[in-house]
Amino acid sequence: MTAKYERTWEHRRAAGRSVSDEARTSYYGLPTIHKPHWKWLIIWYFFLGGISAASYVIATLADLLAKSHDARRIARAGRYLSLATLIPSPILLILDLGRPERFFHMLSILKLRSPMSVGTWGLTIFGGFCGLSALIQAAQDGLLAWARPLNRLLLALPRRAIGLVGSVFGFFVGGYTGVLLSATAVPLWARNFLLLGPLFLTSALSTATAAVTLVLALGRRVNRRALHVLERLDRLALAIELGLILAVRLNAGAVIGRPLRQGRLGALFRWGVLGAGICAPALTHVVGRLMRAPTRLVAILASSLVLIGGFLLRYVVVMAGRASADDPEAYFAFTRHTRPRA
Amino acid sequence: MLSDVQLIGTTGSRPGAMGFLTDTTLCIGCKACEVACKQWNQLPMDNFGWTGHSYDHTGDLGATTWRHVAFIERLDGADGQRVDVMPPFQSHWLMMSDVCKHCVRAGCLEACPTGAIIRTEFDTVVIQQEICNGCGYCVPACPFGVPELSLFDGKAHKCTLCYDRVTAGLEPACAKACPTDSIQFGPVEHLLERARQRVADLHARGVTSAYIYGDRAVGGTHGIDGLNALFILTAEPEVYNLPAAPELPQDKVGRAFLSTLGAALALGVAAVAALRRL
Ligand code: SF4
Ligand code: SF4
Repeated sequence: MTAKYERTWEHRRAAGRSVSDEARTSYYGLPTIHKPHWKWLIIWYFFLGGISAASYVIATLADLLAKSHDARRIARAGRYLSLATLIPSPILLILDLGRPERFFHMLSILKLRSPMSVGTWGLTIFGGFCGLSALIQAAQDGLLAWARPLNRLLLALPRRAIGLVGSVFGFFVGGYTGVLLSATAVPLWARNFLLLGPLFLTSALSTATAAVTLVLALGRRVNRRALHVLERLDRLALAIELGLILAVRLNAGAVIGRPLRQGRLGALFRWGVLGAGICAPALTHVVGRLMRAPTRLVAILASSLVLIGGFLLRYVVVMAGRASADDPEAYFAFTRHTRPRA
Repeated sequence: MLSDVQLIGTTGSRPGAMGFLTDTTLCIGCKACEVACKQWNQLPMDNFGWTGHSYDHTGDLGATTWRHVAFIERLDGADGQRVDVMPPFQSHWLMMSDVCKHCVRAGCLEACPTGAIIRTEFDTVVIQQEICNGCGYCVPACPFGVPELSLFDGKAHKCTLCYDRVTAGLEPACAKACPTDSIQFGPVEHLLERARQRVADLHARGVTSAYIYGDRAVGGTHGIDGLNALFILTAEPEVYNLPAAPELPQDKVGRAFLSTLGAALALGVAAVAALRRL
């Protein structure tokens, strides 16, 4: 294999600071730790995996709690959506490896203190539940009538119990990604280790609710009541998400949280994540109601915005983490807080 | 002034642990260690160019650099003024040969999901190249920025403390090549003893800023529990690009999962409440 091996030196000397200014508090401003290589593939995985996990939970709960047509429609949409967003997940993860052909090396060991290891197993098991529930749904929908014995077997399975157990793994898949980021030396993530798991899980729920809403609203038969119920759930998730995002920003502090405040990422965080992803959907609902716009149109608009915001949230969290890993001042702010030497 | 505990320190190294003592007060910045490491381990060259900010054109540790000599030019004193008096020791230069710390509790090892990273019989930390699948999780999990994915083969690489040489009864290539014995190799307990004597000696000679980096009192208080590659430093750790109080990332995993579980319960209740109205 030939590879061009070039290191690029990023000069992060702030304007007006000399080399000796930097050298007094850091090693010429060079990064102290190595940032992860994770970029687009992982951001897409965080986004799609979250939707898959939470739409499975939504489908299960809808099936469990209500017997109406709406509930059945939500359950159906949730199960298919969960499978559709799950399928790309392992592909993205495998493509991200330096040696994709060795992906199965992760499946020969389980290490409880490595979120990557437990996550791989959790995703694998959840994948099984997700596929099984989608198959049962297909059997219910009469799509498998051509395979009689399989059809009968699937319909005989305890659908709700499977959904409940699968949902436990669904919650896990939705949240472990935040823990995965937390268990690193990256200052922005490590400082927020109690918040990232809950944040990713909440964002998984809000994006999945939006995705299910979108599927229903784009379908031929729409029921306004179902859309309203989903909207209420989404509003709740977004409110919690907003609280968690602000807590992350506050907890990061001035130095470690710099990438969330400054530059292109900071703008994306303010206008994309908070603006387009959280405020705009809420505004859409208010304006829609005031103007008596068709529920379906409002639902389509608002849930698209939530999906965009959810994606941007993953993008900003990953990229801002990378930026904070490159910043020695941020890392030293993180590793100095209880330093034993004066 | 340092107290005795801070000066002496201990590590949690297991009996029989082998390691490095890098005494930066002896380093002359010749880079023999860097070259010896590259030659023995057959590492390809890095960028053939200049960093543009110092005499150091290697920059940092990485997949193809397992020893890195840092050159710290002390341009001015604590008051920000250019110093015009020559100090009794080391002129205005600090040099340090950085390396993987072979942590007593290692973030890279605990993160690795394939089990590629192992603890050897010498208590050192080695990445098994035939297992690593290049997931890259060890890279941000190291609190010192040591391992890196190689662009050549997609796998993570770092110092092995010359596992092949040490099993054959030889000392690592860098320690062998070092002309001033700034890099010393041996059982960690001996090295620690030697480091204590050296620091005491330096203090007696007026270099009161000397201290051991990498024992429990300095580098290892946050779960890392000491380093098998110790350093004697004479300035703040940050100046050498070392964290003052690094943390073991995995110590947060349990609590992070607990808070996520709490969120899962809360969101579950919220979803049940909302979907019940269907
Ligand atoms: S310094 Fe980093 S790479 Fe070396 S053993 Fe410690 S955690 Fe692993
Ligand atoms: S890159 Fe290789 S050595 Fe590092 S954590 Fe992944 S599998 Fe383990």
